[in-house]
Amino acid sequence: MKSNDSENKFAGKPSGVDSVPEIAATADLKDPQVILSLLEADQVVAAKQKTRFGRRNLSLGVRVLLWGLRIYVVAMLLLVVVSVLRALHPLH
Amino acid sequence: VLWLLVGPGVLVFLGENDAPSMLSYSATGARFGIGFFIPFVVLTFLMGLIVQEMTVRLGAVTHRGHAELIFDRFGKFWGFFSMGDLVLGNFLTLITEFIGIRAGLGFFGIRPAVAVGMGLVVVIAAMTTGRYWTWERITLGLAIFNGLFVPAAILEHPDWSAVGHAMLTWAPLPTGHQSEILLLILADIGATVTPWMIFFQQSAVVDKGMQPRDIKAGRFDTLLGAMLATVFAIAALLATVPLFHHGIDASQFQGAQFAEALEPWIGHVGAALFALGIFEAGIVAAIAISTSSAYAFGEVFQTGHSLNRPVRDAWPFYSTLLGSACAAAGLVLIPRAPLEFVVLTVNVIAVLAMPPALAFLILLVNDRDVMGEHVNGFWANVAGITVTVLLVCVGIGFGLATVFPSLLGG
Repeated sequence: MKSNDSENKFAGKPSGVDSVPEIAATADLKDPQVILSLLEADQVVAAKQKTRFGRRNLSLGVRVLLWGLRIYVVAMLLLVVVSVLRALHPLH
Repeated sequence: VLWLLVGPGVLVFLGENDAPSMLSYSATGARFGIGFFIPFVVLTFLMGLIVQEMTVRLGAVTHRGHAELIFDRFGKFWGFFSMGDLVLGNFLTLITEFIGIRAGLGFFGIRPAVAVGMGLVVVIAAMTTGRYWTWERITLGLAIFNGLFVPAAILEHPDWSAVGHAMLTWAPLPTGHQSEILLLILADIGATVTPWMIFFQQSAVVDKGMQPRDIKAGRFDTLLGAMLATVFAIAALLATVPLFHHGIDASQFQGAQFAEALEPWIGHVGAALFALGIFEAGIVAAIAISTSSAYAFGEVFQTGHSLNRPVRDAWPFYSTLLGSACAAAGLVLIPRAPLEFVVLTVNVIAVLAMPPALAFLILLVNDRDVMGEHVNGFWANVAGITVTVLLVCVGIGFGLATVFPSLLGG
């Protein structure tokens, strides 16, 4: 479960920032300067919408998948080292 | 308006058309000419597009970087594992970018220390703009020069009917040592889908302030990036086809050597464009990859991690960015450093490290608590899982070829 309610995550109007949809409704979206100002407002809004998500319970299947892939990566990295050593120091 | 809409998607794909990637496509063209690998490169970019679209949604909906989401949802244990893959892959790749910068400028007689220094100056200039927007525009402006491979390819006068035939039939199939073909397949996949792209694009989407309503624009940006990168990658492959026709062994070539070898067929201008393209590929990727490492470091250690923050407020972020770039640049200048080790393995390591990164990505975009209504649909899951299974199979093929070289005639 996450710490904040996802339903309300985008509903609140961050304090001190005009709502971007409100600006967009009245702005000339063909004007690149207006679009640029909207993008920068978005950055402020997005920063205020950051939400921490809590730990999820990992099912047995997910844990097996993650461990399997972890073992796969370690084994493959070892093989990369072997193949590079062979390439750099050929026996013949 | 198009210039304002494009951003992380174009940047990530042109950033991934980096020095080792362009050298990999060049090596493919020089070894096998026009044939199977042309549609195969298109396929790899389609795989990249499927993966990167998910990062756009994840970033726009959660406003959290990929590293911090993994730590939040899976805990520190799995978070540090995935960070380990990222840090190793990013640092090795960053070294190859500076090798590309050195090799590209080496064609013009510029000394290695000067070339690497110039690369560092560009990275520092981009990071000290103080605004994500300005950083993105500067990097995008540089990334457009990835298109230098197109005139280089045109100067080679490609056989367009053979290109069309290859696109339709995937023929002729590559012949020769199966292990060599497998290695080039791995390198070409690693040239298109890598863990840093996932971490970078999601963090950049967040830093840009994209909202769920921007997902459509983000998809367009990503699609455009994939299409441009595909064209430029195929151009790099086509530019080196004369080496295939004339039986020149390019297996040990670096950037400048490709340009020098191509000069008789594409002229000095064409060769210079090719060398500049390798330099550009290294510069843009050095900026993007060092930023990717810095984003992930800031997210994991909960320090300021935005290009919108001044240096004094986010000094660990900027220190990581600059420190990783300086360390990679310094290594490239060490005499007799075994750099061929890095060049040989960087794209292969990217492919091998990709399945766990994809597993986390697919689990996150299927997490309704995180994604809400933007959770992955059935076909997005089919595509994502298919890409993951394909990468695992290619990796296992590499493993078998390494342990039992005789299996593939190696």
